[in-house]
Amino acid sequence: MSDPRSVRLADSSQGAAAEARGRKAAADASAPDTQLAIEVRTLVANGDLEAARERFAGLVSAHQRRAVRIAYQYLRDAAEADEAVQDAFVKVFGHISSYREAWPFEVWFTRILINGCLDRRKARARRDRWFVASEEATGLDEARYAGSVAPDNDPEARILARERRARLASAISRLDGRQRLVFTLCHFGDRTPREVSAITGLNESTVRVHLFRAARKLRGLLGGKS
Amino acid sequence: MIGRVRHLQEDRLFDCYTAAQAGELPDPRSAAHIADCTECRARYDELVQFMDGLRQEADEDTAAVFTPETLRAQQQHIMRRIEHLGHPARVLSFPGRVVRRHFAPAAGRIAPRWTAAAAAAGLVIGVGVGVVFDSRNRVAAPGPLAMTISRTARPAAPVVSVAVEAPVADDDAFLSEIETVLGGPHNQELLPFDALTPRVQELLAGLR
Repeated sequence: MSDPRSVRLADSSQGAAAEARGRKAAADASAPDTQLAIEVRTLVANGDLEAARERFAGLVSAHQRRAVRIAYQYLRDAAEADEAVQDAFVKVFGHISSYREAWPFEVWFTRILINGCLDRRKARARRDRWFVASEEATGLDEARYAGSVAPDNDPEARILARERRARLASAISRLDGRQRLVFTLCHFGDRTPREVSAITGLNESTVRVHLFRAARKLRGLLGGKS
Repeated sequence: MIGRVRHLQEDRLFDCYTAAQAGELPDPRSAAHIADCTECRARYDELVQFMDGLRQEADEDTAAVFTPETLRAQQQHIMRRIEHLGHPARVLSFPGRVVRRHFAPAAGRIAPRWTAAAAAAGLVIGVGVGVVFDSRNRVAAPGPLAMTISRTARPAAPVVSVAVEAPVADDDAFLSEIETVLGGPHNQELLPFDALTPRVQELLAGLR
C-alpha cells in the first residue's frame, strides 16, 4: 500500500523536505527574523539608532548568504550582485519604519532585493545597447573564483568546474525573464511558490507553471530529459 | 484484459517535487502512483537528482565567488553605509567670491570691451590685406587653372598644389589636367579605384 507521504520521505529529497519545512516555519510572521525586524523598527522609531544597527547586523547575518545566492544567480556578475545585496540591506534599514509584520521579513526583504536586481538588469541591457560590452566584469569574476580555489586544486578539475558554471549560466540566461526570476527565487532562493507569488505579485499557479517550464527547459539545455 | 498503464505527466512529477521541497503534501494520487510504478519512480528520482545537482552547482558556484572573507567585508560595508544613513551628505561649499568675480555683470567690463575692439580691428585689417593680395594675384596669374607636381619636398609622395582662378572657364582643360596627373607614374595604384568609379556618361546611357 502506498503512502502519499512516501514520495516526500523516502528519497533523496528527504533532507531537502525537512529543510523546506524549516524554511516554511521561518517564513511565518512570528519567525525570529520577523520579530527582529519589528524590534529594529521600534528602536529606530524611538531614536535608538545604535541599538537598531546592532540588531540589524543579526538580520544581515541571517539573510546575507541567501541574498547573495539569489543576486549572483540572477545577475551572473559578482560585483553587481555584491552591490545589489548591499543596496537591499541599506534600503531595508532606511525604510524599516514602513515594514509591516503582515509580511514575513524574508518576503519583504526578497522583494526589495529582486526589485534592485531587476533595475540592474534593465540598466545593463541599456548599457549593452549603446556601449561595447566589457570583459572586465567576467574577468573580475574569474579572478575572484580563481583566488577562492585552493592553489593545490587540480587544474583539470578547475577547468571542468568553470565549464560547468559557464553552461549553467548560459542555460539560465536563455530562460524567459519571468521563468528565470521564478526559478531563481524558488530553486536558488529556497522560496516556495506561494512565497514567490507574494514576492512577485504573480498568481501562485502562474508561478508553478513558470517554474515547471524553466526546469523543463533547463533539463533540455543541460542534458537532462526535457 | 490488461488495462493500459498511464504514467504520470512531467508536470505532475514536477508538482510532487515542488511540494516535497516546500514541505507540503503532494497530490495523493500522484504520490501513490510514484510509489507503485517503477518507471515513474525512476523518472521522479532522475528529476530530483537533476534539480538537486543544479542547486548544488549553484551553491558551489556562489560559495566560490563569495567566500566567507568576502561576505564579512560585505557585511562591514553594509554596516558602514547604514551608519552614514542618518547623517546628511557632506556638502562642499562653492566658492562664492569666485562666482561673483566671474558672473557679476558690472565687474571687469573694461578688459572685454578692449578685447572686442582689438578683435574687430584685426578682422578688418585681415580682410583688407586679403583683398589687396587677391587683386595682385589676378593680375599676375597666367592662366585660369594651374596644377603642378612638386617633387622637391617629398620625392616619394607627389604634392599636388592647385591654384584655382576665378572664373573657371574651361572645364575641359581642368579635366584634362586631372587625366594627365592620373596618367603619371606615381598614380598607377589609383587607377583601379578610378575604374570602379561610375562614369556620368555610363549612368546617363543606362537611364536612357
